[in-house]
Amino acid sequence: MWAVRRWTAAVLALLLAALSATSAAAAMLLDFTPAEVANIASHGPWPPTPRLDPSNRVDGQPAAIAFGRTLFFDPGLSASGRLSCAGCHLPGQGFQDGRAVARGLAPGVRNTPGLIDVGGQRWLGWDGAHDSLWAASLAPLLAAGEMGGRKEALAARVRDDAEPGGLSQRYRAVFGAPGRDEAVAVNLAKSMAAWLTTLVSPRSPFDHFRDALLKGDKAAAARFPIAAQRGLRLFVGQANCAVCHAGPSFSNGEFADIGVPFFVPGGVDSGRHGGIQRLRASRYNRLGEFSDAPPGDASATGTRHVLLEHRHFGEFRVPTLRGLLATAPYMHDGSLATLDAVVQHYSALNEERLHADGERILRRLDLSAGEAADLAAFLRSLSAGPVPSGLRP
Amino acid sequence: MRRPLPDGLWAAAQALMAALLIGTATAALAACPPAAGDGTRLATGPLQMTWRVVGAASGSATEAVPEPTPKVAPSIAVGRHFAVEMQLCPTSAQLTRVDASMPAHRHGMNYRPSLTTLGEGRYRAEGLMFHMAGHWELRFDVELAGQRLSLSDGVSLR
Repeated sequence: MWAVRRWTAAVLALLLAALSATSAAAAMLLDFTPAEVANIASHGPWPPTPRLDPSNRVDGQPAAIAFGRTLFFDPGLSASGRLSCAGCHLPGQGFQDGRAVARGLAPGVRNTPGLIDVGGQRWLGWDGAHDSLWAASLAPLLAAGEMGGRKEALAARVRDDAEPGGLSQRYRAVFGAPGRDEAVAVNLAKSMAAWLTTLVSPRSPFDHFRDALLKGDKAAAARFPIAAQRGLRLFVGQANCAVCHAGPSFSNGEFADIGVPFFVPGGVDSGRHGGIQRLRASRYNRLGEFSDAPPGDASATGTRHVLLEHRHFGEFRVPTLRGLLATAPYMHDGSLATLDAVVQHYSALNEERLHADGERILRRLDLSAGEAADLAAFLRSLSAGPVPSGLRP
Repeated sequence: MRRPLPDGLWAAAQALMAALLIGTATAALAACPPAAGDGTRLATGPLQMTWRVVGAASGSATEAVPEPTPKVAPSIAVGRHFAVEMQLCPTSAQLTRVDASMPAHRHGMNYRPSLTTLGEGRYRAEGLMFHMAGHWELRFDVELAGQRLSLSDGVSLR
């Protein structure tokens, strides 16, 4: 009898302890320092205020946006007639394809970038060879290994589709009568850019936490998982992630060498070094005749002043961290399959792989298993969930 | 002395010349020494200079809002272009280059600023961008009376 009572009492005590621990965990909020709060605040607010691209005169126009969406899913723009933009940028996967490296009409050497939150980025592509979303949209249309299109063929497709509601009619509604082939091709890319700009990620658990923290709503802030809070503290502090993954988009918009090999079949991927040269040589940069912005426009400041130095060799764009769960695998070459692998990359960083004359920012983090799990938990908190069905074809 | 103009016009021309001289001198005096509103003051030998942030370019992706340090205008944000204006004294000094670097990280900016002369020792530099939080060192190269001088100032972004 006494044994039963003792056993019952022990079980009750355990239950009470468990309940107590659960409620304590639910209400737990780390005591963030003012410096940490300031850094956390800098990663918002979200979503950002939309800004029109002055180099794209149809940006924000509903007819252009709708036309651009149609073009994005149109396989007729490719040389084979079977590959649309959505063939590699799958809407259900953060507009990525899940492959390590892209496979258009030919195998590529870089990971297909996701397209959510791509609007307003200063540089596009892993090497930043494009300074506008419309230039970045035109490049894969014309690249032999991607969609393999030709300007003449793109323009002909528009002119020849004369059905009511067809491409020709819709083009005219946005741009007027088609002009020379090159201008038509650029305009198609500008329509696509107008649509892509509307792809903004929804608010994530981190955004709710940030806003609650700044409002002083501790109860709401405490709903942010404690592991993610610890990971956030690492992110803005000891791990130094926020040095490059800065601002609301979790990217400073620039380039870095993080020790990921840049050897590719048959050579090396020069990354930003080649990207700057391609940018300068492009007919479609913000300083060229196809930009709709007035001369001297501030949006071309980066293009006017960008500097080419040897240290840019092997640097790749610092990607946004929003919506990461949908865009595996990671890194410019897709070499890391999971977020845990990404955290492990920084934890066990091989510093000898970094440029000898490069930046002294990255250090091997040597995270404990718990710290690595916390950092990964925080990174996961930057994803809001599946892509809304409205983004599907 | 033979005067090339009638007396009335001659007097007017003299008055105009005097006004121009006074105006020029006043402008030079107004520029030097720099006013408090001209920004942070730096000096080396006979050279004085002020610098201040005068504008942030639009079109940048990030909207980071760092905590301003006492020396930094809040318009400098991580990953956003900005412009600075400098006032040199004496006004005969010539600003030849503006640049910035992060000594601890052993790298400079990813952009080369362009310089515009605004007159009377005043210059504007466009295209600067601090792409990381941390300590930056701004450097100003100046030529004065055949001498090359360099001024620098620290800026911290959090």
